[in-house]
Amino acid sequence: MTLLSVREITRRFGGLVAVDAVSFDVHQGTIKALIGPNGAGKSTLFNSLTGFDRPDSGSVEFDGRPVIGRSPRDVVRSGLARTFQNTQLFDSMSALENVMVGAQAHQGEGFLPAALRMPHAAAEDRDASAEASRLLRLIGIDEWGHTLAGDLPAGIRRLVEIARALATSPRLLLLDEPAAGLNPTETTELVQTLFRVRDAGVTILVVEHDMGLVMEVSDEIVVLDRGAKIAEGPPRMIQKDPAVVAAYLGEEDVDD
Amino acid sequence: MSRYARRAIVIGVVVLLAVLPLVVQDRFLLKVFTFVGLNALVVVGIALLFGYAGQVSLGHAGFVGLGAYTSAFLAVRVEVPWLVCVAAGALVAALGGLVLAIPSLRLKGHYLAMATLGFGELMTLAFREAEPVTGGVNGFSGIPFPAIGEFVIKTPQQLYWLVWFSVAAAVLLAANITASRPGRAMRALHGSELGAQASGVDIVGVKVRAFVLSAAFAGLSGALYASIVGFISPSLFTTAASVTFLAMAVIGGSTSLAGPLLAVALLTLLGYLDALLPGLSGTTGELIQRFQADIYGLAIIAVVLFAPTGLAGLWRTRRGT
Amino acid sequence: MPDVAELLQFVIAGLKSGSIYALVALGFTLVYAATGAINFAQGEFYMLGGMLGVWFVSLGLPLPLAVLSAVTATAAVGALFELLAVRPISDGNPLRIIIVTIGGSVVLRQIALHLFGPDELALPAFTTGSSLKIAGAAIERQTVWIWALTALAVVGLVVLYRKTTFGKAMRATSLNRDAARLVGIDARAMVTAAFALAAALGALAGLAVAPLTQTAFDVGAGIGVKGFSAAILGGLGNPIAAVGGGLLLGLLESLAAGYLDPVYKDAVSVVVLLAVLFLRPQGLLGGSGKEKV
Repeated sequence: MTLLSVREITRRFGGLVAVDAVSFDVHQGTIKALIGPNGAGKSTLFNSLTGFDRPDSGSVEFDGRPVIGRSPRDVVRSGLARTFQNTQLFDSMSALENVMVGAQAHQGEGFLPAALRMPHAAAEDRDASAEASRLLRLIGIDEWGHTLAGDLPAGIRRLVEIARALATSPRLLLLDEPAAGLNPTETTELVQTLFRVRDAGVTILVVEHDMGLVMEVSDEIVVLDRGAKIAEGPPRMIQKDPAVVAAYLGEEDVDD
Repeated sequence: MSRYARRAIVIGVVVLLAVLPLVVQDRFLLKVFTFVGLNALVVVGIALLFGYAGQVSLGHAGFVGLGAYTSAFLAVRVEVPWLVCVAAGALVAALGGLVLAIPSLRLKGHYLAMATLGFGELMTLAFREAEPVTGGVNGFSGIPFPAIGEFVIKTPQQLYWLVWFSVAAAVLLAANITASRPGRAMRALHGSELGAQASGVDIVGVKVRAFVLSAAFAGLSGALYASIVGFISPSLFTTAASVTFLAMAVIGGSTSLAGPLLAVALLTLLGYLDALLPGLSGTTGELIQRFQADIYGLAIIAVVLFAPTGLAGLWRTRRGT
Repeated sequence: MPDVAELLQFVIAGLKSGSIYALVALGFTLVYAATGAINFAQGEFYMLGGMLGVWFVSLGLPLPLAVLSAVTATAAVGALFELLAVRPISDGNPLRIIIVTIGGSVVLRQIALHLFGPDELALPAFTTGSSLKIAGAAIERQTVWIWALTALAVVGLVVLYRKTTFGKAMRATSLNRDAARLVGIDARAMVTAAFALAAALGALAGLAVAPLTQTAFDVGAGIGVKGFSAAILGGLGNPIAAVGGGLLLGLLESLAAGYLDPVYKDAVSVVVLLAVLFLRPQGLLGGSGKEKV
């Protein structure tokens, strides 16, 4: 079943076409990778898919509902979560508290129940704390739970943001370069985590530069170059696609 | 600091504050401590709005004034029972907060600060010029003491307890808020608006609620002030006063209620040092009073430069927590 | 049929106060362009100019020298303030800069209070003589001085920015700090220069108008709000917009006071401030901030 349907998304900034009529689908239960040289328009595309930016033209449907024009919060609450290339954690709060914010994404904003210490508010907080702990364990970073986000190493920050995004109970998770700043061991663990997440029922669309991770983890790959899609298909096919090779390596010949 | 130690300190402070009027007999001193409480009530709100949610307000004295004038008007011209006056004062101020917050939502950082400044100035003008309602430059006098039914609250001790009871209630509400989801939502908003949006936080709702709640606290303080002192005038509710309130929150530190409360006590009492410490030589006391404003101006600068998280931050680093 | 002479009188008054607002607004714009933050102490530079001018005159300096010294001294205060309180945090959140300048404004006001006392002080008019009469309206000589000095300041700024290396360096820094550094411009010094210039402009305004309105230690806050309203009316970060905004604000105030009620004079700047912030934060001349002359 198609969970995310991206059709002819175009985004211009002044004279620059950052995203050029990009179309692709993401099928439920899969891990899809979005790759391309730097400046290919991947993060811009992410912004358009999640309500943070409005594309100039095109449409996006998530779970049958249009995404464009909705607020980021609305998009999150409908089951589409994302992380950022430039991690956006809440530095003054602990990793656990960061994830708790995500865990309570579907609750109301009222101050009153909390102010009056109403029992259901307290119960919600306890549940959120438990859920946050569980997610940190799932990703393998529960030892950092009580460290302030501002004090976390760069690689761990990305993982906390993933945990926070997962806490919003998404059906589709958009990850923006989750492996940046991770050492090889951590990257291997991340691969396992991504499989666990997928097996738990969360579809994943991941932007990544680490080709090893991409090849290992993806069911399908979409390649962008200078804002346009130049290839789409399973990893083995993409690896051999001359257009992809050319985009990454210039016009150099590649020996297989 | 362990939970028990913290709890012990809180209980100790509460007991101390409760017992104070029985120990301190000097009417003037008691009034001073009552003023500390009135300031504290405003600053608790600002601590939430600025210290937690990161929104700068340079116009909160306007909310204090709204509460004061509403309450005074109802008490004197309409002769409504005191409890209703005070509730109305807080409510009108809260409404003012709502009216200000909504168009200000899209404004970031310093633009929001200037909008609140504009609001504060507008209120000062309104208080000065709306003579039929506010008494204009000459102020509004003859405001009766608080009264619940037949019981009139008028001794310095009773007024002190009234104010500090309100402060305690406000602090309790604020503490409950900060320790749970809304507190995290505010801190998320402050930490990263993008991250907050991506985590499902309703940043508009949080901003508005923080504004409205802090305005309500300010209005309550104003209403209490009016009935305690009996006379109010526009010169009480100026931008300078707003800056003072903000300064107390800045110096007290962010993400903390205790820090700003301590700052309120220190800065308010600073002006009355000679009354507090009769042993203090006349010249030292005079000196401190002359330089009171200088001290808090320099304190603002010092905090921003050397201790950005204020007194609270210093305490936390010292303790290694 | 509106009375032309009366209208002219209001316009003259409006352009007079408008020029003052223009100078103060320029100060806000300069600092904003350099730091991305609002300098809350700008009004105090205006105050210091007038107060120092009075003091230098009391020391026996001839008026022109007193004025020059006051402007220079205030510029020095501005630079010193930037070095001590702003530079250490200049790479951080602009909100911190606002707060530090709030503290600075308190300190500057207090210093003035301690040094010069709480009373209003008078500066002699730059030239004595009766008002000039043009088309039925009277123009005080000091008003002409205000216009002349404002025009001089604006022209001076234009020349500085367009013709001198220093000015070009300042423009470059405000457009792109990192690129400016790469070509060898000391970005931090440019920020100090911005503060010094802003202080000088504020002081000039304070001095020019002091003979008409007198000066005191607490005049800073009021003019600060008006100057900022003017700056944002035109559009923060754009010097031409600042001047335009100042003149426009002055005119609006004068016309409101003349044709409606004097009461509304102070209300105009506040209403303008809120209206601009809520309806068109980028100001009348639009543009998001870092355009220079």
